[in-house]
Amino acid sequence: MTDSSTTKLEVDIAIATEGLTAEPKSFGKLARERFFKHKLAIAGFIGLVLIASIFVLGPWLSPWAFDEPNVLNRRAGPSRDHPFGTDTIGRDLFVRTTMGGRYSLTIGALVAVLATLIGTLLGSAAGFFGKWIDTVVSQLVNLVLVVPAIIVLSVVALRFGAQPVGIAVVLALLLWTRIARVVRGVVMQFREQEFVMAARAAGAGSGRILFRHILPNVFGAVIVEITLLIGLAIVLESTLSFLGVGVKPPTPTLGNLVFQAKGDINSDPIRVLLPGMFIVAIVLCVNFLGDGLRDAIDPRSRADEKE
Amino acid sequence: MFAYSIRRILTTIPLLLVALYLVYIGVSVTTDPLAEFRLCLPRCQEGYDRIVELYNLDQSVFVRPFGWAADAITGDFGTSNVAGQPVSTVLWERGINSAMIAIPAFLLAAVLALLLSVYSARRQYSAGDYVLTGLSFFGIAFPAFVLGLVLQVIFAIKLPEWTGWKLFYTGGKRTDNIGEIIGTVTLPVVTLATLFVAADSRFGRAAMLEVINSDFIRTARAKGLSERRVIWRHALRNALIPLVTLWALNFSALLGGSVITESVFSWPGLGQILIPALQRPDLDMVMGIVIFTAIITVVFNLLADLLYGVLDPRIRYD
Amino acid sequence: MNAPGAALLEVDGLNVGFKTSDGLVRAVTDVSFRIDPGEVLAVVGESGSGKSVTALALMKLHPRSAVISGTAMFDGVDLLALGDADMRAVRGNSIAMVFQDPMTALNPVFTVGFQISEAVLAHNDVTKKAAWARTVELLDLVGVPEPRQRASQYPHEFSGGMRQRAMIAMAISNDPKLLIADEPTTALDVTVQAQVMEVLREVRKETGAAMMLITHDLGLVAGAADRVQVMYASRLFEAGAIDDIFYDSRNPYTRALLGSIPQVDSERTERLLAIPGNPPSLLNPSPGCPFMPRCSERVERCTEELPTLLEIRGREHRSRCHLAQELAPISEVLP
Repeated sequence: MTDSSTTKLEVDIAIATEGLTAEPKSFGKLARERFFKHKLAIAGFIGLVLIASIFVLGPWLSPWAFDEPNVLNRRAGPSRDHPFGTDTIGRDLFVRTTMGGRYSLTIGALVAVLATLIGTLLGSAAGFFGKWIDTVVSQLVNLVLVVPAIIVLSVVALRFGAQPVGIAVVLALLLWTRIARVVRGVVMQFREQEFVMAARAAGAGSGRILFRHILPNVFGAVIVEITLLIGLAIVLESTLSFLGVGVKPPTPTLGNLVFQAKGDINSDPIRVLLPGMFIVAIVLCVNFLGDGLRDAIDPRSRADEKE
Repeated sequence: MFAYSIRRILTTIPLLLVALYLVYIGVSVTTDPLAEFRLCLPRCQEGYDRIVELYNLDQSVFVRPFGWAADAITGDFGTSNVAGQPVSTVLWERGINSAMIAIPAFLLAAVLALLLSVYSARRQYSAGDYVLTGLSFFGIAFPAFVLGLVLQVIFAIKLPEWTGWKLFYTGGKRTDNIGEIIGTVTLPVVTLATLFVAADSRFGRAAMLEVINSDFIRTARAKGLSERRVIWRHALRNALIPLVTLWALNFSALLGGSVITESVFSWPGLGQILIPALQRPDLDMVMGIVIFTAIITVVFNLLADLLYGVLDPRIRYD
Repeated sequence: MNAPGAALLEVDGLNVGFKTSDGLVRAVTDVSFRIDPGEVLAVVGESGSGKSVTALALMKLHPRSAVISGTAMFDGVDLLALGDADMRAVRGNSIAMVFQDPMTALNPVFTVGFQISEAVLAHNDVTKKAAWARTVELLDLVGVPEPRQRASQYPHEFSGGMRQRAMIAMAISNDPKLLIADEPTTALDVTVQAQVMEVLREVRKETGAAMMLITHDLGLVAGAADRVQVMYASRLFEAGAIDDIFYDSRNPYTRALLGSIPQVDSERTERLLAIPGNPPSLLNPSPGCPFMPRCSERVERCTEELPTLLEIRGREHRSRCHLAQELAPISEVLP
């Protein structure tokens, strides 16, 4: 997705000739340059900020409360007072949608944080210590992959998941595997490298080696996964809510807004599609951003090449 | 290869058993099959006792799964207390329904993804390539239920309003009229296929690009082979290796019943009975679905590996 | 169709550029040369000098973003003006190519025999069975032992040297008039290199093909070529008969290359005379001689004026250097 039309040969030529013309650049500067060259990543970032500010400012600017019904003004179309209209019991949909967006984004971020913690912890332990720990973690990953996620999600969500935090925990417990795999790979790769050997020879303990010398190197690979994870978590949460087993109303999320409006799809399709389109926009931005970050951090894996 | 397959299956069985055990306990502790009976006791003591008997509720929750497993080994997967039919019958009927949308969706997605990958890779950075890449980005961003609803609104609701043509139906499988069934199946098939095409064509484009830029493609051209032969024989044969693996996994996901798409279009497949079965809970039904999807996943994973070996002579399983 | 004494290939004013986001990169600039039937022309230069791009342009195997001008008359037709279909009829038929890396130049999912017989079938109206028989014959010719069995093996079952032999078999399958060998030994072990060069010599004797041998290794050229041309920064720097180049080079760049050949009799500890510095950027060439910053002989004139490719004393020896006529005899500068 870069704007130039260079081929492999030309890149070789450019590399061969660059040595003379360009002064050496630091990794950070190079990464920043690559990121900013990636127009879609910038668009994604701006888009996310924009969407997030709508969600933050929306409920604050509107005179209505998200859970305040008005039986006299039910299923109203968009108007000056209610830009997105009202729902089946007359609640303002603009406030509900932006509130829902807040909850969805918060859940996405929370899942990303929790899954990253679990994944990094288990992945680095497996990669660093190897042996039985590695075996246990690998089997755990396989277990999560074998059980259909939707079943676990539904089972747990039905019981505990009515609250946003509960849903986030459940999602995190299912989504840590990818991060764990990435971290494990990187840690194993660095475990045997010279600077780690040197630290070990200098008498540094396992904990110190892991946290000071190895984990900082994991950051680059993980940041991309985290970005994509936020998108995935938002989609999964909304899917659960759409199936009626996610966050329970009146707390709105983008997913359960769709669920609640589904019955009126024939007469009022906009009410169904609007929150859905917000989800699409968020995921689109997050994916662009993730792609740009991947490009910036690892120049070898171009966005349009194999993932 | 046979020995390898056997070994693979054998190593998966313990994992599968643990998964089934956990799901059984998970469903048991999070749901209460006696809920509706508690309210009417002692009037409905008989029904209460029947459920206790059916699910061995007098035993410890950690022991109960073994009772189910003992029956399952003999081929008895129990009875769905909602449908009032044996679980295997329900699975079979629903499975066929799921297959009715899964198989066309899979074939459509595979063919389209293949053609688009080849097009995009051959015309890298052309306007068409940019449009397709943009569309696939867009497609990936759509959660299944949003895409399903969008298609439903456009084709099943608005199209008849605008034109008066009622071509597509969303009310589930109601008749045996073949035209109406096709009209009902089309939208879920298109929904599923779109989602997979979006993801696969991006992957396929990358795979194809890597191949097209490799030395042996230049060799093939240097031999004086036609461009058609270079692309469809030399390049595609290599790009197919990662794609076929992906397809095998896609197919297992599709056949396992696409819960969301079936739910959007009220299509009576496997996916659509899962959530009600969990809510009830219809424990035997849930276990039946889990074991069915798990087996399909395992089998298709294995199939993917074996196909990989068939397509790539450098891989040997022994 | 060509008259006796006529050239097999006559390239005139070849230019190849690549459009990049930073501007046009000139990979080949105003290159003219000829190859006579049956002779071996070595094209020598560092990587990025334009020697491989020249070959790829002749075969029209260059990337799509390339911009090409000039003519290349081969057997009475201009290769650069040929349409796709006509060019395909030439490729692998009257001009065939051997590539640098035999590990990646063969398709991993087809048998070696299949890939060779494909070349036979592409240009001959024969049965698959006949093509296969020809394949086995070709593998035998290039010294692959047990060719019948080896033909149905996959590339990964071949060693590097054996793969390069298979590539050569593929290249000569239609008795080409011109064989382009692009760094045919660079990716191979030293012992295998000699064997592959020997195979190339043998097959040329068998088929009478002319050869364009592209290499960065002047040492390889010594025993193999009739004529040599040296390229630097997309241009021809010196061209001439092998003896003229090796014993009477009139160009400081060629001399620097000659100085960097490891001598068999020299002590291991003796430092190789590597050429200091890097080749220049091909993006915005400066007006002077591109070799000037690295040249030991440079004078004021070199910074302002690009030397022309000058004919030396009426022989077919050309050099691009302001001092071509004044340079001291080569024996005085090199050991």
